[in-house]
Amino acid sequence: MHRTSTRSVAPRSRLRMRKLRTYARLAAGLLLCAWLLPAAAHHSRSMFDDTRATTLSGTVRVFQWTNPHCYIQLLVPDANGARQEWSLEMGAPVYLYNLGWRPGTLQAGDVVRVKILPLRKGGRAGLVLEATSADGKPFGKGL
Amino acid sequence: MLRRALQASWIASAALVGCTPPAAEGPRDARVTTFATLPDWRGYWITEGFASDISGYAPIDPAASINLVFSPGPWRPGRAPEPPQPGTVARKSQGWGYPMMMNSSAPLQFLVTPEETLIVNSYRDIRHVYTDGRTLPAAEDRWPSVWGESVGRWEGDTLVVDTVSVAEPMKYMFFAPTFTGNAAYEERLRRVGPDRMEMQITITDPETLTQPWVVKLVYVRAPGLDRMLHDAYVNDRSELDGKRIHDSAAAVATPSPTTRTSLSPGRACCRT
Repeated sequence: MHRTSTRSVAPRSRLRMRKLRTYARLAAGLLLCAWLLPAAAHHSRSMFDDTRATTLSGTVRVFQWTNPHCYIQLLVPDANGARQEWSLEMGAPVYLYNLGWRPGTLQAGDVVRVKILPLRKGGRAGLVLEATSADGKPFGKGL
Repeated sequence: MLRRALQASWIASAALVGCTPPAAEGPRDARVTTFATLPDWRGYWITEGFASDISGYAPIDPAASINLVFSPGPWRPGRAPEPPQPGTVARKSQGWGYPMMMNSSAPLQFLVTPEETLIVNSYRDIRHVYTDGRTLPAAEDRWPSVWGESVGRWEGDTLVVDTVSVAEPMKYMFFAPTFTGNAAYEERLRRVGPDRMEMQITITDPETLTQPWVVKLVYVRAPGLDRMLHDAYVNDRSELDGKRIHDSAAAVATPSPTTRTSLSPGRACCRT
């Protein structure tokens, strides 16, 4: 009787544990992906370091309104005052357009401040999270 | 006299006939009538809670928006998609493919006609949902593709779509569900308000799911779109699959600009 009972309970218990593990994994995934999942189809944002958001101020060399990503090539003064060029990725034009951006929203010579996530591997490149003009105004047509 | 009266009568009759609208074309009228009964789904729609910010990503609420990936489906053991881990390299996608294009941040457009409903997104993912009474292709006429084969029918204002022959979605879209190419999809799509559409999708895939999985999605209007935007991938500098993040040599070739600290007059570039 005891053996029969053990046999019938053990698989159920294993199944329950398996379900719990699956739910735990899903829950972990939900937490993780609340921040990590892309809205863009093109690739995940795992190449950028979510833990090291930083702010840069500089002068736009060129704003590229291009697929699959727009880019700001930004000239940022380093500690010695020399201008270093950063390559800053943004979303595709359709996402920016929906937020009121246009190809001429940024022009060469504009001074902007951007909040970015840098590349995990280092280098002068990153993902733009926020962008404002020198006097703190967000870009984009009012919608 | 009588002859003149007959002539006048004949001319008057001919003039009257000339003023009469052309005879109605039966089939064309039927199509117009059918068109008038179809719902108005014009505009551009995005999955609720999945609108991107300027980074191209969204602070996503998975429970509300990425239902096809992270709502708890009846997955068979070991078949559920693994959550992406920080630092892992994901492959690129050329678009969303089906079914993820129906659950994405990429704006959707529904072009409803009597014969078919065309579903298009900004990544040039296109679905033809035939509503002309045809059935799905015979088994020997099917092959798997990213968007599959679809036929639809109207039940009142609800478009009911059956889709098969969808190649394994995860092979095309890096965080798509792990359905097999044998999965069958039924969608029920309707507009429930001026700015809201609801979709229920039921996936049947015995190889990966223990039972049919019902997922509900909501679409809301993309506030800033007055047109659908498409373009080629002409500036793909992302570092994936061993490729570089950017080409600084090309970037440096252009002379540096003169710094400007104010915006040009008349430029509508600041949100107020």
